[in-house]
Amino acid sequence: MDQLNDVLGAISHPTRRAIIRRLANGPARFLDIAEPFDVALNAITKHLKVLERAALIQREKRGREVLISLRPEALRLVADWVHEYERFWNEKLDEFESHFKNQQRSKK
Amino acid sequence: MSNTNTIEVKVERTIAASPREAFDAWLNPKVPGTPWNMADKLLLNPTVDGFFFWAIKGTPHYGRFTAADRPGRIQHTWMSPNTSGLESMVTVTFEGKGKNTLMTLVHSGLPDTDGGRSHEKGWNFFLDGFQSQLAQSGAT
Repeated sequence: MDQLNDVLGAISHPTRRAIIRRLANGPARFLDIAEPFDVALNAITKHLKVLERAALIQREKRGREVLISLRPEALRLVADWVHEYERFWNEKLDEFESHFKNQQRSKK
Repeated sequence: MSNTNTIEVKVERTIAASPREAFDAWLNPKVPGTPWNMADKLLLNPTVDGFFFWAIKGTPHYGRFTAADRPGRIQHTWMSPNTSGLESMVTVTFEGKGKNTLMTLVHSGLPDTDGGRSHEKGWNFFLDGFQSQLAQSGAT
């Protein structure tokens, strides 16, 4: 639950969501991430720390560069939690749908 | 409790049957996929102001039917430990589409108790369209 809280907190800010969207396209350098935002670099650093604490991003040193990449598996926590009832009803309606398909097949 | 945030879940399926057949089947506990199927204990009175009780694996669910308009619409409240004492609402509609039926289930008023506003933001985040990006990035 602690990590879920961290992830939910991290994605609650539009700038951090935009950073995640950017990183969904692939790893990027810090300045590339900061470039579209009209805020101080210090603010971007703080946002990245929040994302890092939630295990949503990781930093990797490649030569002289540090690349920041997305760790989307942490978002599965949110998806699994948010969609608990959606999953329940999807399973039910899948069964219900199959019941009629099976009936149709057995009629043929 | 009136300040509790709520969420809504919507699921659609195309059923290979007429709306009348789908409607009747949805209220038949013997039909797989209905909420009443596989219950350890079931009481079901699907008429307006009729009640249902079903328990599965020791988890009780209660509700009161508010609409049973054959063959177009079934609506009932839904209370379980997961709704934290709130009456959520399940609305199922059956719309004829040629030989088939478009079945739409909306479960609304699900309480947002664990995450508070964070949960709402998390839900909106997915509505923002991130899910497709998540899929593209291979996380799903």
